[in-house]
Order: sequence, then structure tokens, then C-alpha cells
Amino acid sequence: MKPNFLLLAAALTFAVPVFAKPVIGQPAPDFSVTDAAGKTQSLSDYKGKVVVLEWNNPECPFVRKHYGAGNMQKQQSAAATEGVVWLTVNSGAKGKQGHLDAAAATAYIAEVDGKEAAYLIDTDGKAGHAYDAKTTPHMYVIDKNGTLRYMGGIDSIPSTEKADIEKATQYVSQALAELSAGKPVSVPTSEPYGCSVKYGS
Amino acid sequence: MTCSTNRSSRCRSRLQAVALASSAAVLAAPFAFAQAVQTDHVNAQLVGEHLALVPGQSMQVGLLLRHEPHWHTYWINPGDSGLPTTIEWNLPPGFKAQDIAWPVPKRFDVGGLYNFGYDDELLLPIAIDVPADAKPGTKAHLTATAKWLVCREECIPGKASLVLDLPIAAAPAKPDERWTTQFAKARLAQPQATAWKGDTQMTDDRIVITLRGVGLPPAEGLDVFAAQRKIFDNKPPQIGREGDALIVSAGKSEYFGTSPATLDLLMTAPSAAGVRGWRIRIPFADAAAPAP
Repeated sequence: MKPNFLLLAAALTFAVPVFAKPVIGQPAPDFSVTDAAGKTQSLSDYKGKVVVLEWNNPECPFVRKHYGAGNMQKQQSAAATEGVVWLTVNSGAKGKQGHLDAAAATAYIAEVDGKEAAYLIDTDGKAGHAYDAKTTPHMYVIDKNGTLRYMGGIDSIPSTEKADIEKATQYVSQALAELSAGKPVSVPTSEPYGCSVKYGS
Repeated sequence: MTCSTNRSSRCRSRLQAVALASSAAVLAAPFAFAQAVQTDHVNAQLVGEHLALVPGQSMQVGLLLRHEPHWHTYWINPGDSGLPTTIEWNLPPGFKAQDIAWPVPKRFDVGGLYNFGYDDELLLPIAIDVPADAKPGTKAHLTATAKWLVCREECIPGKASLVLDLPIAAAPAKPDERWTTQFAKARLAQPQATAWKGDTQMTDDRIVITLRGVGLPPAEGLDVFAAQRKIFDNKPPQIGREGDALIVSAGKSEYFGTSPATLDLLMTAPSAAGVRGWRIRIPFADAAAPAP
């Protein structure tokens, strides 16, 4: 009986296009994206360094929660101090809410006093799709060997309210501290929360 | 038929009638009083199914959300993004509010990401347990803070402080005719409990559910949602028949953590009277399926 169901399930599954998904403990997908300063940024440039990826849409209320309260900038600053490379990625397609060109991205970083190492403009969504980034924010932590160690939400309380930040567990900070101490990441995944990434159709 | 998919004159006249009735009610407000609150893209109001609350009974009230066209709010499992609507009550002593009885949600495709929620006019029913010692002739002052996220493609958090004043009456309460249609629609949109049996098998990236039982619908047009988050990947599942069994193959969430003891599913099918829904609760087996 069972094998029949599985065969059917396998047949059904076959019809679905399969995208490689990022997997904890596996090599993180490489990418090549131009940043707001016009420089090409690739994950492979940062072998030997811990990298944080942050998906961003300046107009999303969940992003504004963390920037408005200074939580994101504080984590970016702390990461920089520790030699961690923080890359903010915007996968908003042209014409969609939150899409920025290089000049607008530079103005945005100045406005929010962003402390990221670079702001990547992924207009075609290639890097976003490679990481299966779904929400803004959506966070990833990659270790010195290029292995994915964390993916998910910025913290543990899905809301748009700034008051929740101090009550929440900050998963990215926690993962970075654990990696720095040579410990395993205690929470390697959490469900990301936020606005949907505004990919082009 | 829903007004979102069919802009018929019946839809329009019903909405106009409701608008007229509610403005008249605010002017007169003889029995039940509830002010609608207009926020960005959503009009929110607490409404009672009946004109009074009866001591010792469980009475239906509703959070009525009217969305502007193209805007939606979310189900208890919002899908790939979004937030479920919440309501926090501040009730007189002895009164108790039950959880929202979620109507069947719609699936929204947002550029390949999926959300589950509601558009158009939505009534979220909530049962209020009235204490047996509530005094007829007095009034109950029900207040609540409702919060939601309303999205088109962009999203705006919304919030409203809402009030519903209802008299306490010993006699069987009459329906409040202003909201009869909305409560009837919400009732039709409640998923029905089922006694269907099922089991689950999980592979690396799929969760395959085999359902059996009397009255399982044909596979065509069906959709299946998990009420719990972090179980499915939110993409439309593949659904097929094998003999008298219904097989649902859903993508496994990449954020799947520990297996729940039971899986709470909602199955929907289009019907002439709107979308029908069934509630299915089955044990969740986390033993990896043997390779076929």
C-alpha cells in the first residue's frame, strides 16, 4: 500500500521546478551583486570572514521597526567591530515598493546612519532567489569557511512594534556571539517575519 | 459568490444597504452601539449578532474589517510574510472572550511568495461568554484593541480601539438585522469538522499526507493549508486521488523545526455558495519515509 502512495507522491513532486535552497551546515550560495558604491560584491571575496546578509526594503514597516529603534544599526556596528562583514541586500524590482538605485541607496544609508559594510542592489533578485529570501528583514549568517550557520528572522517576536525588540531574542547577535566563542549556533533557523520581498514578476 | 470576484449589483446594493444601515444606527443607537474606525485601507468595527447579551450564554460578536479593493489582512498562519490579526479584549468582570473562529482564508500569490488571508468584507467571529449573574437591564461595555497588518504589495500596520455597548436582557435576544448577512456569511465560511483519518510521511523536502474517510471531495480545485506555521513551504500543494484516498503532497518548510504531535489542516474547495472548508486533525509521524 505505502509504496504506491509514495510513487504517486514522487510523481506529483516531479512536476514542481526544483530550486536549490540554502541549507544550514552547507556552503552558502555565492553571488555577485553591484553595491551602492558601484563595486561588485561576491560572497567568495570574504573567505576567512564571518558574513551577515540582511534583506532590506526601506519602506517596509518591519524594517522601519528595527531601523527606527536603532536595533539594526547597533547590530551592524557591533558586527563591524568584531570584523564581521555585514551586507545589506535590496532585492526589490524596479517599480516596486522599496526599490533603490545607487544614489537613493546611498541617501538611505546616510538617513538611517547604516553601519553595514555594503548595500547590495539586487534588482533582478538573483541573490534573493539564491537564498530564497522571503521577507524584509530576512537574515543569514555565514561562517569563515562559507558555511551557512543561521537563517531566519532578526529576532523572536514577529511584530511591527519597537517595544517588542528588547523582549525578543536577537537571533543574529546570538549566532555571532556563539560563532565567535567557537560554540555551535543554538538557534540555527527561525521563521523569518516581515513584508514579502518585492521580486519582479 | 463573493463580492471580490463578482461585482454584481447584488454585491453593490448589499454594501450600500449596510452602509446606510450603519450610519442610521450611529444616529439612532437605541440598543447596540459600536463606532466604526477608519484606518489606512481598512474600516474596523465591533458588531454583535444579537441586539442584547443573555446571561449564562455564549454570544457571537464579530470584528468586521472592510478592506479597500486590493488590500488584504491575514489568517492565523499568514504564510510567507505578514502577521495574523489579533484582538485583545478588555471586558467587564466575569465576561470571557473565546479565540477568533477563523473563516477559510484565501491564497494570495505575491510574486511567487504566498500569503493566506482575507480581502473585501470580513467578519471574524468571536464568542463572548456572558456570566450567569449579569444583570438584565444593565449594559455591557465591551472594549478591544484590534491589530492587523494590511497589505496590497506594500504593508501598513493597523490598530483600532473598538467599543461595543450591548444591553443585558433575560429574554432570548433578537438578531441585529444590520449584521445578519455578515454573520451568515462568516458561518458559511467556517471550516467544518471532519472525522477523516490520515497519516503523514515526510521526505527531505515534502510532507505527504494520505487522507481517508467518508465524503472526501474530488481533488479538483482543492487547496490545503496548515494552521501551524513552519510546517509547509506555503506553495500550493499537489493533491490527487488514489482510489478512495486523497493524497496531499506539500513542500516542507525550510524552517521546519520539531514535528508537532498533530497536524491541523484546512482543506478548501470552491462551491456555488462560496469557498467551503474542512478542518482536519491528524497525527504527525516524523519517521522519515523509506526511499520508494
